[in-house]
This record gives sequence, C-alpha cells and structure tokens, in this order.
Amino acid sequence: MHAAAPSPEAEQTLCTRFLRSIPERVNAHPHLVWRGRTLRADCLVQIGSAAFLLRIDGGSVRECRTELPLLCSWDFAVRGSLQAWTALWQDPPPPGWHDLLALSKRGEMSFEGKLQPLFAHLQYFKDVLTLPRNGGG
Amino acid sequence: MPKAAIEPIVGRYVSVPILGEDCRIYFEQAGEGIPLLCLHTAGADSRQFRHLLCDEAVTRDYRVIAFDLPWHGKSYPPAGWQAYEYRLTAQRYVATIRAMCAALDLDRPVLMGCSIGGRIVLQLAHAHGEEFRALIGLEAADYQQPWYDTGWLHRGDVHGGEVCAALVSGLVAPQSPDEHRHETLWQYMQGGPGVFKGDLYFYRVDADLRGKLAGIDTARCPLYLLTGEYDFSCTPEDTMRTAAGIAGAKLTIMKDVGHFPMSENPAQFRRYILPVLDEIRQAGR
Repeated sequence: MHAAAPSPEAEQTLCTRFLRSIPERVNAHPHLVWRGRTLRADCLVQIGSAAFLLRIDGGSVRECRTELPLLCSWDFAVRGSLQAWTALWQDPPPPGWHDLLALSKRGEMSFEGKLQPLFAHLQYFKDVLTLPRNGGG
Repeated sequence: MPKAAIEPIVGRYVSVPILGEDCRIYFEQAGEGIPLLCLHTAGADSRQFRHLLCDEAVTRDYRVIAFDLPWHGKSYPPAGWQAYEYRLTAQRYVATIRAMCAALDLDRPVLMGCSIGGRIVLQLAHAHGEEFRALIGLEAADYQQPWYDTGWLHRGDVHGGEVCAALVSGLVAPQSPDEHRHETLWQYMQGGPGVFKGDLYFYRVDADLRGKLAGIDTARCPLYLLTGEYDFSCTPEDTMRTAAGIAGAKLTIMKDVGHFPMSENPAQFRRYILPVLDEIRQAGR
C-alpha cells in the first residue's frame, strides 16, 4: 500500500497540526511528562522544509520555536518528508508508514545528531510525535 | 465468591543437552492430539502463545507446546553463561528444537515459529523436513533488511528493556487491542540484558538463507507462510519473495496484524491460523 501524495498546501496543514497538538498536549498529559522525567534535550523536528525546535526539560515541552536562527544548534533531529508525516498521522496509518522506524527504513525519515537521548526515551518520542494522529486539527 | 478461572495451560521443566551443555527448559502445554511445537520471537518468550494454548478450537485436535529458549522467560542460560556474550547461532537453534522434540518424544510434530522462529522453520524445511508433519512460518523470510543498529539494545546508558520494547512497538499493528499490544511489549521489557541482541545475531549474521532454500520438498512436508501487513521488519514483500522461491509454499498476508500475530491480536490471528491447522489435520499425514 502507498500513502497518498501530499498536496501543495500539505506542509502548512501538517505544521498547523504539529503546533496545535504537540506542545500543549504533551504538557497536559502528566503520565507522558513523567515518562520523560529524566530527559533534557533540544530536538529539531523537520516537516518537509519547515523546522521546529522542541526544548524538552523533565518530559515537558518548555519551548517550541518556529523561526529558527541560522546555524541553530540542537541535540538530535528528526526529519521527515511531507508524505511521511501525512501518512504517520492518518488514523489508521497505512502499513509501512505507521512508525518512525518504519519511515526511516523506507527512507522517508531520518535521525541525526546525538541519538542517545532519543533511544533512551524512544517510546516517549514515538508517542509525542504521533499525537497529531488523534485530533489536533 | 466466584470460582477462579484456571486456564488449561500446564507448565513444566525438562533438562536437555544442547551442544554438550545441560539446559533446563521451561515449556507450557495444553490439549491432546497432533503435537504443535511453537517458537517465540527474538527477545521474548513462550507467553506469546498463551491465547493459542487456551483456544479449544485448537487444543481439541492438537497438543500445543511452547517453550522458552535458554536465556529467555523461565529457562535459565546454561551454567557458565556469565563468562561470554550470548549469541544465538543457527546450529544452536536447530539443536535446541531437535533436542526438545526428542525430550518430549514428539512424533513428527507440526512446528510453528514466529520471526526468528519463522526463519529457523525455513532452515528446518531445508535440512530436516522429514522430521515434521508440517511447518508454519509466521513473519518468516529468507532475509530481511536491517533497520537499526543492534548496539542500541545493550549498552550502559540506555535501558535495555525500554529500548527493546520501544523499537519493536512499531511492529505491532495500530489496530491491535491495547491490552495485547502492551502485554506483547512487556515481554520485551523483561528480557535479560543482551538477549534480544544475541538472538538477532542469528537473524542478521548467521542465517541469511537467500539462495539456500532450494530442495525444500513441500509435498513431503507442507510449508505455510503467514505474514502481517503491518510488519515492516519482515515485510509482506519479504515473505512473498521467499514463498515465490519455494514450490508449493502456501502464502497468506494477514490484514490488520503486525510482527506478533498470536500475541498482539489473537482474535484476528485465529481467523488465519485455524484454517491452516484444519488443513494439516485433515491431510492426516
């Protein structure tokens, strides 16, 4: 099965879903925050050509920056194509497009930088980055 | 007070020699009839088959047996394990299965394995097919492309149980019930340090079966391959490629299921496995 190709306005729609879903819903979810209690990291999330910087401290999203300075530093980056995020956030997502590692395997997502914080909190990040699948505009 | 619901599963231990070492192996069984020996996935244990073991539609005709590989579940590693790194090899895996068949006096059992269990089913179909009534490979292929560095599974600064479960969580289909999804992941959280990684040595290094499966005689020993559509580790395409190279192999792609069909969605799995087991029983070999 193949995910539907994104339309030209898809990037803006995906960015809106990301912003509406993630910072607020993470911080409103006490158990999710608790699961990230040992995590402090700056995580760059890229949706197509748009980048966001999530500053996570103790499992809470302390800041979500949308306009990043040039040469912005971060601990690790999760970069996905528009098709990747579109499919991941479908409910249900199509087979092979339903998980961060599935997308990485098919070349639609990449992980870069210092990956220890990502792997040490992998389920936390999977759950955070999948929040837009269930609501969030 | 309501009567407690005691399941029909009986658990026992048996000591068997494997490659010259005594191994005390835990196994569970239920039912009577054709022996059906079940092999769990890498880094997990025989609890994955608990639903099958309690399914009367299966146990009325089959003696279902599931065991924990040494290093897994309630089977200890052999004495001296602390002195070396655990690595499952094809030789050790085949020896373990054959030792269990001999110890339990199984007469040409049906063998069903999932993931690494599916891979070894292919190896056995090739090398020892005459010892089995039928072979069932779940999430089985001659090879699959790696999708992460197994070094992440066993290191001091990442919790092994948490990362093992988090890596495989995406192999559970989104449609699988939450209860069974998280029970499946709990098995991975409980694995011993380095055991999942050690199992994957077999998967990734020691058992690339591409080009080595010629000569499988499915007329002598039927071979069934069933793979879940959400399995991105052993993909449906991997299994289809494998089946295309084995004359007579019977292929099924399972809807709404991932890499752990019997554990993550037992209700969906039985829709696919019951017809297979009926066909094997009716063949009466």
